[in-house]
Amino acid sequence: MIPLFLGVALVTFAVLSLVGDPFAQMAINPRIKPEDIARLRHAWGFDLPWYLRFFKWFWSMITGNWGVSIFAGGKPVTELVARAIAYTLRFSLASLILAFVVGVPIGIYSALHQYTFFDYFFTFFAFFGMSMPTFWFGFILMMIFGLKLGWLPLGGVMTPGIETAPLFARILDQAKYMVLPVIVLSLFSMGSWMRYARSSMLEVIRQDYVRTARAKGLPERTVIFKHALRNALIPIITLLGLSLPGIISGATITETVFSIPGMGRLTVDAMLSNDYPVAMVCLLLESSLLIVGNLIADLLYAVVDPRIRYS
Amino acid sequence: MEREETLLDVRNLKTYFFTDDGVVKAVDGMSFTIRKGEVLGLVGESGCGKSVASLSIMQLVEPPGKIVEGEIIFKGEDLLKKTPEQMRKIRGSEIAMIFQEPMTSLNPVYTIGNQIMEAILIHQDLSEEEAKKRTIELLRLVGIPEPERRFNQYPHELSGGMRQRVMIAMAMSCNPDLLISDEATTALDVTIQAQILELMKDLQRKTGMAILFITHDLALVAEMAHSVAVAYTGKIVEYGDVYQIFKKPRHPYTYGLLSSVPSLKTEKTKTPLPAIEGMVPNPYKMPSGCHFNPRCPFATERCRKEMPELAEIEPGHLVRCFHPVAVEKEAVS
Repeated sequence: MIPLFLGVALVTFAVLSLVGDPFAQMAINPRIKPEDIARLRHAWGFDLPWYLRFFKWFWSMITGNWGVSIFAGGKPVTELVARAIAYTLRFSLASLILAFVVGVPIGIYSALHQYTFFDYFFTFFAFFGMSMPTFWFGFILMMIFGLKLGWLPLGGVMTPGIETAPLFARILDQAKYMVLPVIVLSLFSMGSWMRYARSSMLEVIRQDYVRTARAKGLPERTVIFKHALRNALIPIITLLGLSLPGIISGATITETVFSIPGMGRLTVDAMLSNDYPVAMVCLLLESSLLIVGNLIADLLYAVVDPRIRYS
Repeated sequence: MEREETLLDVRNLKTYFFTDDGVVKAVDGMSFTIRKGEVLGLVGESGCGKSVASLSIMQLVEPPGKIVEGEIIFKGEDLLKKTPEQMRKIRGSEIAMIFQEPMTSLNPVYTIGNQIMEAILIHQDLSEEEAKKRTIELLRLVGIPEPERRFNQYPHELSGGMRQRVMIAMAMSCNPDLLISDEATTALDVTIQAQILELMKDLQRKTGMAILFITHDLALVAEMAHSVAVAYTGKIVEYGDVYQIFKKPRHPYTYGLLSSVPSLKTEKTKTPLPAIEGMVPNPYKMPSGCHFNPRCPFATERCRKEMPELAEIEPGHLVRCFHPVAVEKEAVS
C-alpha cells in the first residue's frame, strides 16, 4: 500500500509539472517585472528540476507541513481542503446513504417480484436516473423548484447572513440548500444500486442452496432473509467499499451547477490554475481513500464470506 | 418383502412449463406408488421428467413450471390440496430431499452445524442446545469423523462426499417417512458413490423410511431399489419390482436401456454395444401416438396413432406398450 501511495504521488506530481509553472501567465502582464517573476519562481522552487521539487514538497508534506496555496491569498492548503471536504461530505454522505438505503431494498424487492409492474417501473426508474445527465437534470430541478415554485434555493450552501441565526434555523436553512443537489446526486447512484442489488439477488435465488433451504421447510422469509440476502449482499458490500473515495472527491459537475464550494471544484480549479500544492493534496487524498476503500472492501468481503477468510 | 400400506400415491401428475416458446409437458400423467419402507427407483434419461416429478411432490417447482393436474396422496391426504403453510411443515420433516450437486446445495456463508440445526429447530420443539446435540449425533450417524469440529466448519472446508453426507444428515434430522434422493450420487466419484449408497441403504434399514431414488444409472437401481419405475417423456412406461424389470423387461425402452449396459460378456463377444436408436424427442414437438415409436424397433401403425395405457401385464408389473417384448433378459449386474 505504501509503495502504491508513493508511486501515485510521484506520477501525479510529474504529470502536474508537465503543465509548466503557474507564473508563466504573469509574463504577459506588462506591470509585473521579469525580476519579480524570477524571484517568485525561485521562492516556489520552479527553478529546480521537477524531481528535486518533488522531494522538497514530499519531505515537507510527510513532516506535516502541507504548504500554502500559490493563489487563493496564500491560504494554508489544510484550511482550503478542510473547508471543501466539510461541504462535499455533507452532500456526498447524504446522497450515498439515501441512494443505498432506498436503492438496495428496491432492487431486492424487484428481484423477488421479477417481471411484475413494480419491477418494470423501477427498472425504468433506475435507467432514467442513471442516464440523466446531472447538469441537465440539475438545471431542470432548479427551474421547477427554484424558479417556478420558489420552494427551494437555486444554489449555494446557505442563505447569506444566516450565520447569526439560532442553531435550529441555521440547520433548517442549510438543509433546504441540500435538497436538490442530493436528489441529483443520489438519483444517479440509486439507479446503479438498484440494478446491482436486483441482479445479485436474482442470481442468488436461483442457487441450489436456496432450494435446499426451501426443501428443509423453512418459512419463505427465512429463505430470503437468511439464506439468499446474505449471499446477495456480498458483491454489494464490496461496491460500497469501492464507492468510498467518491465521498471525498466530490462531484465536480453537480457542485458547479449548484455552486457548492466542495472538493470537486477545488480540485479542478487548482489543477486548471496549476496551483500544485492544493492539487497534489486533493489528488493524493482521493487516491489514498481509493486505496483504503479497496482495503476496506477486501476486509468486509472476508467478514461476510467465510470462503475468503485469510488464515 | 411383504405388502405394506401405501405411503405415497402419485396419480396422473401433470407438471407443465409455460415458456415463451410453448408448453413443455415435463411430467405428463405420471403415476406411481411407494409403500412404507419401500425403495422405489425412478429411472430415465435426462429430460424424462424424473426430477420435476420429485420437485412436484415437494411443491418446489419454480415458475414458469406449474402443477396443472393430478393428485399426490401422502399418508392418505392430497398434498396438492394443502395450504403453503401446511406444505412447508411437511417439507423437511415428513418428506426430505437430497439433491444432485453437493457442492452447491449447501449455503456457503453458514456453518454446516447451523444449517442442520436450522432444520431441527424449525420442525421440532427443541432448545438450541438439544438441537446442537442432535446435530452432532446426526453427523456421527452419517459417518462424518470429528463431528464436534465439523459442526463449526463451512461447506467449502468439506469434500463433495462429506457435503453429501451433511445433506443426508440434514434430511434425516426429523426422521422423514419419505426421502427423495434426486441423483444424489451422480456428481460423486465411484468409490464415494458406493459409500453414500451404502449409507443410504443402512439408514433406510435402520429407520424404515421409504426412498424415492431418482437416477439415470440402472446399476444403482438394481443395487438400491425394491421396485422400479421407468420414465420416458414425462410418463411411466414400465413399472414393477426389481426382478421383473431387470429379468423380464417388457417395454422396448426398458429392454433397450438394459441392453445398452456394458457387461463383461459383451466385451468378450466383441459385438458392438447395442444402443437405442435416435434421440429423446424435442419437448416442444412430441411425436403422435406412443412417444417412443420413432425409436422403437417394434413400432407399428397403431403405435404412431394411439398412446398405449399403462396396463398390468402380470401381477405387479405394468407396461405402457401395445407390443411388449417377450424375451427374458439375462441379469445385468
